[in-house]
Amino acid sequence: MNEELRETNENIEKESEVLVDVRDVSMCYKILVEKVDNLKEYVVKLLKRKIKYKELWALKDVSLQVKRGVSLGIIGRNGAGKSTLLKLISGVLEPTEGEIITKGNIVPLLKLGAGFDKNATGRENIYLNGAMMGYSRKEMDEKMDSILAFADLGTDIDLPLKNYSSGMVSILGFSIAVDVNPDILIVDEVLSVGDAPFREKCAKKIKELQEKGTTFIIVSHDQSTILRMCQEAVWINNNRIADFGDTKTVMDEYNQYCKEHPERDNSQSKYARHE
Amino acid sequence: MKLRKRKANTFTFRQARNALFEMVRHNIKLQYRNSILGVAWTILNPLLTMIVLALVFSRLLSNRGITIDYPVYIMCGNVVFSFMRMCTSQCLPCIVSNGDLLTKTRVPHIVFPLSTALSSSINFAFSIIAVLLVMLVRMWSGADITFSWTIIMIVPYFPALFGFSLGVGLILCVIFVRFRDIKHLYGIFLMLWTYGTPLFYSETILSDKMATVELFNPMYHFVKYFREVVALGDAGDFKTLGICYASAAAAMIVGLLLFNWRKKVFALYV
Repeated sequence: MNEELRETNENIEKESEVLVDVRDVSMCYKILVEKVDNLKEYVVKLLKRKIKYKELWALKDVSLQVKRGVSLGIIGRNGAGKSTLLKLISGVLEPTEGEIITKGNIVPLLKLGAGFDKNATGRENIYLNGAMMGYSRKEMDEKMDSILAFADLGTDIDLPLKNYSSGMVSILGFSIAVDVNPDILIVDEVLSVGDAPFREKCAKKIKELQEKGTTFIIVSHDQSTILRMCQEAVWINNNRIADFGDTKTVMDEYNQYCKEHPERDNSQSKYARHE
Repeated sequence: MKLRKRKANTFTFRQARNALFEMVRHNIKLQYRNSILGVAWTILNPLLTMIVLALVFSRLLSNRGITIDYPVYIMCGNVVFSFMRMCTSQCLPCIVSNGDLLTKTRVPHIVFPLSTALSSSINFAFSIIAVLLVMLVRMWSGADITFSWTIIMIVPYFPALFGFSLGVGLILCVIFVRFRDIKHLYGIFLMLWTYGTPLFYSETILSDKMATVELFNPMYHFVKYFREVVALGDAGDFKTLGICYASAAAAMIVGLLLFNWRKKVFALYV
């Protein structure tokens, strides 16, 4: 009896476990007003006092939590800061202010097959791409069979990547990324590429992962995907969180806003100049 | 309250090591992918360079002041300098050329220059075989060469050469992210550095003024020490080794400070 109770308690605890805790995060890019990428021009402009930077706040005071089993969809206009938020959670960028605490195995899938080498064979690229996610050769050997089974490239796997179609490259990249049983899989629009069979295959695999307990964080302009997959959504508008909560509610509000403001709102322009 | 800053979801040491090893392995494989001779090129390349240099310069410059057999003298200098040249000039574009990995994966940025330097080191190990081959051939054809145990002094010497080259490489790759014309400037500078270091002429033909300048050239000391322990069978001058380590430490400190200071903005410029 007691044990049963404890088990239930543990389950509840596990379910409400916070995997990603974003606390008051802001991200500022300091960029040049005019692009100068060589020393000669730089010196000339420096002497003319024409080197000016502007601060671009891609995100301001963002706080949110992602719990185990509660997939999160991120919606918002172009340039609102969605991808920046994903990169911050993934650990690709470091926040200017605030902190992000993560727990468990978080796999970012910001680009299918990042770091693929066109001249290497499919098999070599599996090792290479795996290494970029931190896996050793030995660990990749163990995954090899199931990656090959899912990618279903047959003997083509030993051909150089330059002979692949872009669809084949995508499917190889996807096979490697999903074969690592992540606690959280971070997906940035990448699943909207490829032909119908590819997308179907991805959708099936994602459903399978979700049933196994993987939590997703997704950026997508495809609202049906987000409605289907995410229990919660966050709407980012003008680099701040506009709303966070139940997917349907947030999405309705976002759509309402888009109807009312067909033009981009530039009143709080982020291109504020600091000289 | 001051807000804390922290990067999320960082690589563990083990994960970074896995990424590093795989990149080194891939670099080496890539280097000679489409050649029949493959890895043999790593040995052949310094050999052929040596033959060209020996042919040209034994006619052009007098061997005045060189006590070591001329081909071996050239070989020693060239192997050390080539390592530095290869390491630094390949480090230079490494942040930019790995831009995709930099902005889409969480591989620690230091892995890129470090893997480049390690790949060059493996090439260096092969080129030492070439040096030994030349020494054997010259000994057999009657030159005055003795093999000595002192060659193992390369082991405590190499970390200094590695550190110096990586340090310079770090400085260059950071600058290249921001200023792309540094590549051409460094190309010119490398040429000056090559001819300014006594690789195929003896330091004794230098004027007093040039000899003083030479003392501030780290590569002069690196080349000198390598020749002493490999070709001369000398135990090596500890003062020279000390200078090597001092320049390595200086390059690494400047390189790492610069790298750590700028690494947050790499993603903005690649």
